[in-house]
Amino acid sequence: MLIPLTTHFSAERKMSEKSLTIKRELESNPRECVTLIRQMLAGLESFGWTQQDVFGIHMAIEEAVMNAIKHGNKEDSDKKVQVEIEIDVNNFYAKISDQGCGFCMEEVPDPTLEENLEKTSGRGVMLIKNFVDDCKYNEVGNSVELRKSKTTE
Amino acid sequence: MEEKLECLEYDQVESVSVVKFKDAKVMDPSRIEMMGKELIRLCAEEDAQSVLINFENVSFFSSAAINKLIVLEKQVRARGGRICLSNLRPEVRDLFSYTSLDQLFEIRAEQQDGIEALQSEPKNAD
Repeated sequence: MLIPLTTHFSAERKMSEKSLTIKRELESNPRECVTLIRQMLAGLESFGWTQQDVFGIHMAIEEAVMNAIKHGNKEDSDKKVQVEIEIDVNNFYAKISDQGCGFCMEEVPDPTLEENLEKTSGRGVMLIKNFVDDCKYNEVGNSVELRKSKTTE
Repeated sequence: MEEKLECLEYDQVESVSVVKFKDAKVMDPSRIEMMGKELIRLCAEEDAQSVLINFENVSFFSSAAINKLIVLEKQVRARGGRICLSNLRPEVRDLFSYTSLDQLFEIRAEQQDGIEALQSEPKNAD
């Protein structure tokens, strides 16, 4: 089943009994994240993910998409962010790609160092890594893949 | 506090300014901006020396929202005041541990614990 969304940009959402796929092309505007997150949260809940897992995935996606919009595309209205999310009863996968020039992971200051604690930036990448099982950037640093398996009791 | 608060609830308990969030999910960029401005305005107007931020009902808090707390913490500390957080869900508490921000903010289990901590001598620990 393919449900087109009533938005001006390309988007699709495929839902079957076994999985949900969300593909979106977002404008480089922080507000673009809100609808995407709502769809994703509804999907996770419909597949029985726990509150704790949903929180972690929400955090990772929010930070990854915001990083792509703000730091990757620098909120340039000519640039887009591609998001692909796949959810099923046990697994979560997402790929977020921007059109920026990327970044080098080693150059991101460690936000947990005392001298960086009061800085109001640099926590996104750390939060993403902590809240999903696997976080892999491409070589350039403008695309990230996230994976998480449902936590078993 | 003359202007109406859109994002926060405010109460004065003894000498402590107690703030709660109205939104369960503090994630919408425009709401976060508004929340940050209200926090700063509220604490400046009340000349708050001891601020307890109660996370009761908060199920999501983004790093953009955390940044607003960091700005507030700097301002309150510059006036010689202190901030304490309470009633954090375990996953929200994790957010502060992963980022080591539990070194910057005192965190207590319940509001009353936080109020007592703020009324006692400064100390660390959870």
